[in-house]
Parts: sequence; C-alpha cells; structure tokens
Amino acid sequence: MVQQEPDNEKTGHYRNRNDSSAAEARELRERAIKAVWFCTALTAILAIVFIILFLVRDSLPVVRDIGIVPFLTGTDWYPSGDPPVYGIAVLVIGTVLVTLGAMALAVPLSIGCAIYIAELAPLTVKNIVKPAIELLAGIPSVVYGFFGLIVLTDFIRVTFDVPSGETWLAGSILLAIMALPTIISISEDAISMVPSEYKEGSLAIGATRWQTISQVLVPGALSGITAAIILGFGRAIGETMAVMMVTGNAAIIPNPVWNVLSPVRTLTGTLGIEMGEVAVGSDHYAALFGVAVVLLAITLLVNSAAVLILNSIRERQSGRHSRKKRTIMTGKVWDQIRRPALIGEFLLLAVFLFVALPAHAALLITAGIIAGYCLRNLLDAKQAERIAFTLIIAAAAIVLLILAVILQDIIVHGLSAISWEFLTEGPKDLGRAGGIFPAIIGTFCLVTGAILFALPLGVGAAIYLIEYTKEGRITRLIRITVDLLNGTPSIVFGLFGLAFLVYFLNFGVSLLAGQVTLGLMVLPTIIRATEEALRTIPGSLREGSLALGATRWQTIWRVVLPPAVPGIVTGTILSIGRAAGETAPIMFTAVVFSQRYLTASVFEPVMALPYHLFILATNVPGSSTNKYGTALVLLLLVIGIYSVAIYVRSHFAKKMRG
Amino acid sequence: MKRQKPTFLFASLGLTALLVLALVAAGCTGTGQKTTPPAATQAPQAVATAAVVPQSTAPQAQGASAPAAIAAPVSGEKQSIRVSGSTTVLPIAQKAAEAYMAAHPNADIQVTGGGSGVGIQQIGEKTVDVGMSSRELSSTEKTKYPGLVKSVVAKDGIAVIVNRANEISVISADNIKNIYTGRITKWSQVFGANVPNTNQQIVVIGRDSASGTREFFDKAPEGILKGAVPVKSMLEKNSNGAVTQTVAQTPGAIGYVSIGFITADVKALPIWYNNPNDAIAPTAVNVKSKKYPINRELFMFTNGAPAGLAKDYIDFIRSPEGQKIVSDEGYVSIID
Repeated sequence: MVQQEPDNEKTGHYRNRNDSSAAEARELRERAIKAVWFCTALTAILAIVFIILFLVRDSLPVVRDIGIVPFLTGTDWYPSGDPPVYGIAVLVIGTVLVTLGAMALAVPLSIGCAIYIAELAPLTVKNIVKPAIELLAGIPSVVYGFFGLIVLTDFIRVTFDVPSGETWLAGSILLAIMALPTIISISEDAISMVPSEYKEGSLAIGATRWQTISQVLVPGALSGITAAIILGFGRAIGETMAVMMVTGNAAIIPNPVWNVLSPVRTLTGTLGIEMGEVAVGSDHYAALFGVAVVLLAITLLVNSAAVLILNSIRERQSGRHSRKKRTIMTGKVWDQIRRPALIGEFLLLAVFLFVALPAHAALLITAGIIAGYCLRNLLDAKQAERIAFTLIIAAAAIVLLILAVILQDIIVHGLSAISWEFLTEGPKDLGRAGGIFPAIIGTFCLVTGAILFALPLGVGAAIYLIEYTKEGRITRLIRITVDLLNGTPSIVFGLFGLAFLVYFLNFGVSLLAGQVTLGLMVLPTIIRATEEALRTIPGSLREGSLALGATRWQTIWRVVLPPAVPGIVTGTILSIGRAAGETAPIMFTAVVFSQRYLTASVFEPVMALPYHLFILATNVPGSSTNKYGTALVLLLLVIGIYSVAIYVRSHFAKKMRG
Repeated sequence: MKRQKPTFLFASLGLTALLVLALVAAGCTGTGQKTTPPAATQAPQAVATAAVVPQSTAPQAQGASAPAAIAAPVSGEKQSIRVSGSTTVLPIAQKAAEAYMAAHPNADIQVTGGGSGVGIQQIGEKTVDVGMSSRELSSTEKTKYPGLVKSVVAKDGIAVIVNRANEISVISADNIKNIYTGRITKWSQVFGANVPNTNQQIVVIGRDSASGTREFFDKAPEGILKGAVPVKSMLEKNSNGAVTQTVAQTPGAIGYVSIGFITADVKALPIWYNNPNDAIAPTAVNVKSKKYPINRELFMFTNGAPAGLAKDYIDFIRSPEGQKIVSDEGYVSIID
C-alpha cells in the first residue's frame, strides 16, 4: 500500500495539469480513496466484533454444560476433578484482590511522582525523570515477571519468613510497578493542564506552593487523575505474564481475605497456564473461553469508565460545555469524597504494612500517620509544605529506585552471557547453552509483519476519522471500538488468535497468525497516535489547499500528512516496542520452543525473544546465565525502540515550537 | 521549511520501506521459496514402528492429504517436522532432535512444549507431525482421533522431590498423600523431616490440570493420590522444569517431577509403602525393574503410521543411539 501511493499522487498531478476532461475520473478516484479509508476504519469495528463473536462462540458450551450461575458464582476451580468443577468466582476475587493491592501501592507513589514532575522538579531533572518513567512503561511484562520470579519472590520469602514467596503481595508489587507509568503520565498531563491563572491566583493571595498544589491544582486535575487511576487499574487487571509467574496460581480465596502472603490465582493467570494444555472442544476449553469473556467484560467496563471521564474533560477544555454537561467530578464532589477516599487508601496501606512488616514497626508507622493527620492543623503552612514535599520527593525517588534496581539486576547478570556466539547461534541443550539468534530474528519477523499489517490500517482509519467525516454516529462507533480494542487484555488477543486464526482459518501455529494477532493489538495505538497528529494540523492549512483547487486527497497527501509524520512515526515506534515485548498474544499462536533453521514461510512457527525468556525462566532449570542474557537482549531491544520514540517526539516537539 | 516536509515524508517512507525490505530479506530468509512440507505429505510408507500396530489404514490417507494446503513439491533440500506436547518428553525430543539434525544437515525438527493434552490435540488435528505425551490416550481422545498411532520412546518414573535444605531422607506413600490432600501441613508432622530456620510449613507444588504427569500422580492406580482431590492451596506450575525450579528455590517445598528432571539442586526421596527399610529410590535402575512403583511409559504419537522424517526421527530415538540420549537425560531406556 505504501508503495502504491506515490503512483496515485503522480497520476493525480498529471491529470491536474490536463484540462477538465478528467474531472469525472478524478471525482471517482477521490471516492475510491475515501472508500478505502472507510474500509480500514471498519477493520477496528470488525476486529472487536470478531473477538467478541469468537470468544462467545467458543464459550457457549459453558452455558449448556455448566450453567451460567454455577460458572459465575462457584468458588472452586478444579478442571481435573471427577466431575470437573468450573467456578470462576475464586478467580475473579483473586484478580480483584491483586489489582486492589497494586492500586494501594501505586496510587500514592504515582500521584506523588506526577506532582513532582509537574510542579517541583527543576527542568533538567524533569527532562531525565520523565523519559525514565516512560522507559518503565517499555519494559516487557515477561521481564517484570522474570525479575519477580527470580528476585522479588525470594526477597518476600526471606523478608516475611513465609514458606513461599509466590504470593498475592508479589503480584501486587509487580502490577503496581507496571501501572505506575500509566498513572504518572496521565496524572501529570492533567495537573499540567490546570490553567496557570488558577495557580498564579492562588500564589498571589499568599498561599504556599503546597497549599496551591493540594487545594487548587490537584482538585482541578481530579477528573484526569481519576481517569489515570482507572486506566492503570484496567492495565493491571489485564496483565498476564508477570502475574502468572509470581502469584503461585493456587485457586483459593486468601484466608483471612486480607492475607497478602497467600497465593492467589487470577483470571489472566488461569488462561496463561491452562490454555495451551487444554483439549480443544472440551468443557475445560469452553470454560477458559468463558473466563476470557468475563475478563474482557471487566476490562471493558473499567476502561469505558475511564474513557467517559477523559471525554468529559476534553469536552470541558475544548469549551463545548453547551452540548452536554457531563461533569463527573467537581471540587465539591472532591470535598465530599476526600475523607472516605483517604481513609480507604489508608486502610489498604495499613493492611499491607501490618502483614508486610513486624507488628511493632507497622504499629509505629500507622500511629505516625494517624498522628500526622490529626496534628496537621497544628503545623504551620511552611512546615506542612516541607513535610509534604519530602514525601513527594520520596515517592519520585522510590519510583526511580525501582527502575534502577530492575535494570541493575538484569544488566549485571546479563552482561556475562552476552557474546558474539550468544547473538548469532541457535540454542543448544534446551536453551542452557548456545545462543538466541533464531529468537531475535523471529521477534523481528513478528514485529515487521504486525506493523505492515497495522500501519496502513491504522493510518487509514485515522485519516478517515479526522479528514473525511464530521463527528457523527459512525465516527463515535469507530472511536468506541478503538477504545475497546485498546483496553482489551493481550491474553484475550492471544485467545482470539488461537480460536480464529489458528483453528478457524486453519493457519496453524504460525508466523502469520502471530503477526495478525500482534497487529490487531497495536492497531489502536497507531490509530490514536495518527489521530492526535492529524488533529494538531491547523484547519487553515487544509482550507488553503482546498481553496487553491487541490482535491481532498491531494490536500491530505501533500499538506496534512507531511507535518503529521513525526507523530505517526512515534506511534509506530511505540507499537513496535510493545509488539516486540508481548508474550501472551503469541504464546498460543506463533511460537515454538526451538527450531533449527530460520523460518522460511509465514505458515511456519517462529522462536521469539519474550517466549524464549518465559520458557527459560519457568521451564528450564540451570539456565541462569542464558536467561539473564535473553532478558537483557529483550530489554535493550525494547528500551532502545522506546528511546528512539521518545527522542523523535521531543525532537519534533522542539522543532514545531521553534 | 514547508518545502522540506514532503522531502522528509518521502525520505522517511523510503527509509521505512528499505528497513522493512531489509528485515524481510535478511530475517525471514527466502520468504518466497516454499519448502518444508510436513513429513506426513511425503510418500506414506506403511512401515510401522516396532511397538506399533496401525489401527486402520484410512488415517494414513488423511494424514497424507491434510497439511497439503501449505506444502509445495519436495525440493530435496530441507525437510521439516514439528513436534509438540508433553514437557516430560520434551528434553528427549529436543536432545534427540539436536543429535539427529547434526547427522542430517537437511532435517529441521522443531520441538515445542505445551503439555500432553495439547500434543494429542495437535497431532489429532494435524497441526503438528509428532505429538509427545506422557500418558495414554483418554477414551474421548481415542474416539475423537482414531488414527493416532503411538510409539513408546522411553520409560519414566515420577519422583517426589524436596528442597536440599530439608533433612528428610525417605518418605512414606501415605505421608505424600496426606501432604497433597492437605491433612499434613507441617514438616514437623513428617517422620525424619526438618527444614532448619523455617516454621516447617509445607509448600505443596503440583502441576496444572492438563498435565499428564499430574493425571498419573492424581489418578493412576500406580500414582499417589488414587483419585483423591489435591489440596486447594497447591501451587500449580505448568511444566516439570518449573516444579524443579520452584522446589530448588523454596526450602519448605515438595513437588513431583519426571525422574529426568531431577537435578543436583533438589533432593529426590525414596518412597516406602509398608516398611521404612524397604524404601525404593527413584532411579533409572529401579524404574526399569519396576521396583519403583510410580512408573510409566512415554509416547510419541503420529497420525497414521509414522512416515518420512517423522518416522526416521522416531526410529532414531528408539535406536540404541537414541536410547543412550534417553539414559543420559535421566530417563529409562526401553532397550533391555
């Protein structure tokens, strides 16, 4: 598609010079081009329809054989029993607990960090911290899981003196780290977007910086922060690999229910651990698809809430109050919910503290916090500010420390494995010896295919949405589906790929199936990035071009697209990074454990770095150098890709401003 | 500035295209040339492997025609087959594949895990050429895939393993059962066991519900649980290697793995039934003589009698040379 476009453009150019005899043909061509973009926009809708269709289709036997009520409310998940029992309530509870725990840890840290970046950090520090946190977002989930399995679970086992470190706590900590970047960057945007007059006004009437932040800026950005938290929540719920590797996967409800040191099993973990093993068409298979449907429903619900809030903010900011005033949260609401929200957060933290620390230490900290809260009115504003700023800076420091610890562990252990042979040879002895060359190439092939699939579709859909239509029912539908697609957990894409591409279309476990699955997964990222880029192009440019007699397509191609390229490139690079690091979507659709030759056709399976790391970390004892090496290569690859994206964005942002 | 923008656009598009082309060319070598027909598409030879009696001839025809959609004429260069299934059989399959490929430069044997269930399903649906399984076909699998033909590739025992820090030296079958059903939760309740510097809590580790090893351990008459339901707090791992790894990392852990996965990092316990002095160690010798009771056979399944590269590969594993790999990997040879 990319290669054809210049031809189109050229012929259009010639015809333009010819006289009006070609006008009709030109009209026809314009319509054809519009139709093409419309079709690409439809793919998003088609994708979500197909995903839901196939998940529901394959889970229907659940209704027939198990019954929907026992399935949803049963607290036993025991597929190998006699008779087998499929009750997912225990899995839903596990998912909710792990996610809540993650939020209890992530919310204070990330809001503190966001305030630091937006308000406190000197510019030079900000220029380091912000990209660093974006890098945190780039670390693949399997690398987090690997780190969790090797370092975190052992740390928890020893520190808390429990028999096994594979616990709810381990899952929550990992998920908290993974949710941090999402919450931080959206909250930071929200805080920065509070009109500066508010801030100046507050400071002018003599409020301290902390008073301004806590009484003006944070309440003003509250909707955005709420949306950030919900989005982080959505990301945490849908996370598979990291959770599956550290929570122990015992299908039990912790006893007592706040026992964070109990193993738990989540919806995603169940899919990850059992999906590859189950016989197709069995009740167990149907039950797993039922699990996927429930998971999808939960994430869609959560993400829709976030989208609703974010949209209302956008409407308010663009000054279109008049159409629909859907203010979700105002300062008044904040005053009402502040106390319960703080107390809730405090209670959650207290539970964590008590289980996590020796009783007297926990008591001391809790008492300290309560005392601080009660005495806060006795402090003068300056002292309060000093304490608050210390806490905020501590939050930012903790986030950076986490990043440093993870990177340090993997780099220090991984470097010794890296050698020319490691990068250019195939694996030997179950991956304990030899290299990872086929996995590197396999990952490249997967990502290339995914981008070739998603880029034309995504850019086309965005062009259609922004350039060809007015806001209407159809664009709203497309936007909603893009949002839905964006919130779909990666493991659900994997299941869809398995049910639709591998079995229904009979691709088999193959490169092609993996490419399409990954392509669908990154499609919403590309659509959104392109949309954003096109939106920033002023309408006057288009009007000028159209007024000079250019057709709509000529305007888009010559005038609108070129300045939008940096935005599109950034979105694409981020997609590449995401696709390269994902394990769950390709685990059932595209990968093999080992192969001798590089894959020769798209109908053959490939090796891939994230999957190779997953297998080495969980299945092959005694492969410690090679698994660290693989983790390092994967990390460097993805972080390298993300750094390029961050660089491209900041470079062009500067250029645009200048 | 405005003039530069289209140039930049073309430059970046061109660069992207170049990059993509280079990647496709360099990475996915020979995208165009279709090679590697699955073995089933090659002239089906009705030569059965020694232990195997083909159940019917029809499946062979099916086997020959199925993956033809992607097959191209045999170039005589590369041959490739896919092997998937049980993680218990995986090390044998992988090592044998490496040895076979070293001797046959044109052969490409792709091995992947998944579990016995997935191996049988995939060979039944013909998405692979060989399915590995650590258990016999279930009755539903037999009816669903009547054409499956099994070849025994090794004998195996299931060993109970604990962390090296545990002072236990032998364990009774009753105790294992009580631990796995949750009636015993402390190592202090087990004779001879002590895990220094811990609260003696037992961490029970098992396999996922699609595992052949778990099915044997849970349900087989030679197994331990004999149909009893394992305790709900059991940590589930999706491979033998994961169980070994977790037991090696966790002082209070107990797990069960195929004897091929016993490493120096864990302690494999001799098991006794009536008399502690008659405890039998899970060694290759004891498994072979069937003195060690928790033993079974490991299989490779083909859809129809094995043919082509799949046949050569399975024959190789069953040959003395292949069985040496089996022994080296810690399993038990089928050759007496």
